[in-house]
Amino acid sequence: MKFGIFYELSVPRPFSRANEWLTYHNALEQCRLADELGFDHVWAVEHHFLEEYSHCPAPEVFLTAVAAQTQRIRVGHGAVVCVPEMNNPIRVAERAAALDIISNGRLELGTARSSTWTELGGFCADPDDTKKTWDEFVRVIPKMWTEDDFGWEGARFEMPARNVIPKPFQEPHPPMWVTVTTPGTELDAAARGLGCLGVSAAPFAEQERRTAEYYRRVADCDPVGSFVNDQVHTLNFLYCHEDYRQAAALGLPMVGAFAMSNAHLYFTREAYPTRAYQTLGNAGAALRNRAGPDGAAAADDPSAAKGLPEGVGIGDPDHLVRTIRKWDDVGVTGINFLLNAMEMIPQEQVLDSLRLFATEVIPQFQTPAERARPVATPTTIPDVSQSNTATSSTPTGASR
Amino acid sequence: MISGTASIDELARNAAEIEAFGSEPITLSGVTGLSLIAELRRGAREEVLPPGLHPIVPPAMSLVAWDVGDSPWGAFSAVIVRVVCRSGARARTFCVGTAASTDDAVAGLRSQLGFPAQRAEVALRRHYDGVDLTVASRGEAGDSTASRNGAGPMLAVSALDPDPLSVGDLQQVGSMNLAHTPLGLRLVQVETHHIPSRVERLAARIDAFDAEAWGQRLLDPYWVVSCSVSLEDIEIPAIRFVCDPAKPAAEGTERVQ
Repeated sequence: MKFGIFYELSVPRPFSRANEWLTYHNALEQCRLADELGFDHVWAVEHHFLEEYSHCPAPEVFLTAVAAQTQRIRVGHGAVVCVPEMNNPIRVAERAAALDIISNGRLELGTARSSTWTELGGFCADPDDTKKTWDEFVRVIPKMWTEDDFGWEGARFEMPARNVIPKPFQEPHPPMWVTVTTPGTELDAAARGLGCLGVSAAPFAEQERRTAEYYRRVADCDPVGSFVNDQVHTLNFLYCHEDYRQAAALGLPMVGAFAMSNAHLYFTREAYPTRAYQTLGNAGAALRNRAGPDGAAAADDPSAAKGLPEGVGIGDPDHLVRTIRKWDDVGVTGINFLLNAMEMIPQEQVLDSLRLFATEVIPQFQTPAERARPVATPTTIPDVSQSNTATSSTPTGASR
Repeated sequence: MISGTASIDELARNAAEIEAFGSEPITLSGVTGLSLIAELRRGAREEVLPPGLHPIVPPAMSLVAWDVGDSPWGAFSAVIVRVVCRSGARARTFCVGTAASTDDAVAGLRSQLGFPAQRAEVALRRHYDGVDLTVASRGEAGDSTASRNGAGPMLAVSALDPDPLSVGDLQQVGSMNLAHTPLGLRLVQVETHHIPSRVERLAARIDAFDAEAWGQRLLDPYWVVSCSVSLEDIEIPAIRFVCDPAKPAAEGTERVQ
């Protein structure tokens, strides 16, 4: 089981320069501590215009700072929105390669297509096209990373032959992932040999069903990259305290507030009728199939609490160990945690929660030797310490 | 979470009155429906919603037009102007204004569903290559060509180039209507179940929108997001939930039946 931390960089109202500064710098401090404590990944999303929910439109910048301030933890650039109005695939490949070099080969690249009209509409992107452009992006980016003379004539992207440089530090290239919000996207990931990066909550049974199907299909995939990344990570919240009631008292409001900030977003399916978006993204995910005693669907009852997602990481260490064992049992290979929302939990308590989790929970799932090793990746990093060009920056983060 | 800041008293100026909640669904048959979404300027976000509802980012208007072949109120046409919002965390719309073409429809929409309906001339015309929608106030003297301020129609929409979609591609969102009810002034949650036989998406333009005539001068639908037209039947279930307009849904929701 791998453990990561995950950033939307949600900012409290009223918005101010100081609040945004604090959110970013608190997150950087958390990343430095997570690196020391043996967490495996730090992920940062790409979102645009999502007031309060996510002020993180340039994750590659944030992650470059993380890479420069840490030694071991892997940096998850994800997910890059694979919509040409937001990102040209050449620029995605270039930026990611540079970040992989800066981080000494610690990059993971997530891909996505955005689920909100708030974002797609802001860039005047056509929702009908995003699945197609995402598919083309994930096929061309690994080729740009590995081929010296790359050209492409596709349905949504074309370029004459060029050598897209620099190449990433990891060989053949960094692991690639797909963020999974809508049920079924995990099958798109499996078909292409991409890791499954869950970003919305699913109950244990549903996660087990999806994960089993993912593993079944990925075993017979046609990978878009040079190797198969067959990992399944899920998203969770983390607030760990010795006293369960104190954990719940501080952690559960954070979960609720984050969910409510998500409700302000304008989901594409609401705004734009299209076959390309069949669900409302994260909105209402916890409500589907829930019904009241008289059969009234919870989605109809405005007072029905959304409820906590099953298996949420709020509690004392024993509770969290039991919870994570359940995730382990359903086939999840990693959990990425949101540590805070709108800075509701004071920074010192977030840091204490991280320390307690690392001391009491992680050792139940990783041996000391495993924790001391560089985080494993599916790739082998060249040993440049013997070459003429490498001096003090011997890679330490990604070889196995 | 941000909440509405509008004065409930101001919003309730044209509120309908529901004397008793019905127990049977209402069926609208042979409906040509038009649905249009347009973004609003930021000044129409919290300012146009009661405190019990929450805005979305960016603010948006949801306009629905029905040309109904048959209903308990006979054949009629209607246009409902709504602001997209959230009730609790649920996707909803807040009804700002409603225009209907017959007295029976106005009475039914007001007394059974709490829509703030007014009588107007409503014309929804579907052509082989598009749709036109116009709404004109009847005015005090029965003038059917001008809005209240005499400057033009209350609403004019033109849409072209229908592109077929699957019938499941259209998302419908329930309406919250501020109305006087046996429980007091409440947001009445009106749900609609649509059974479409055909859905098309079109490129639309709003040629005229008289915000004052619709009862909310802050509405400025400046950026059309989408427009669709459908052939469908619509079932409106009996009202099940109402909400206190001054309280968040978690605290202010009451079950009617």
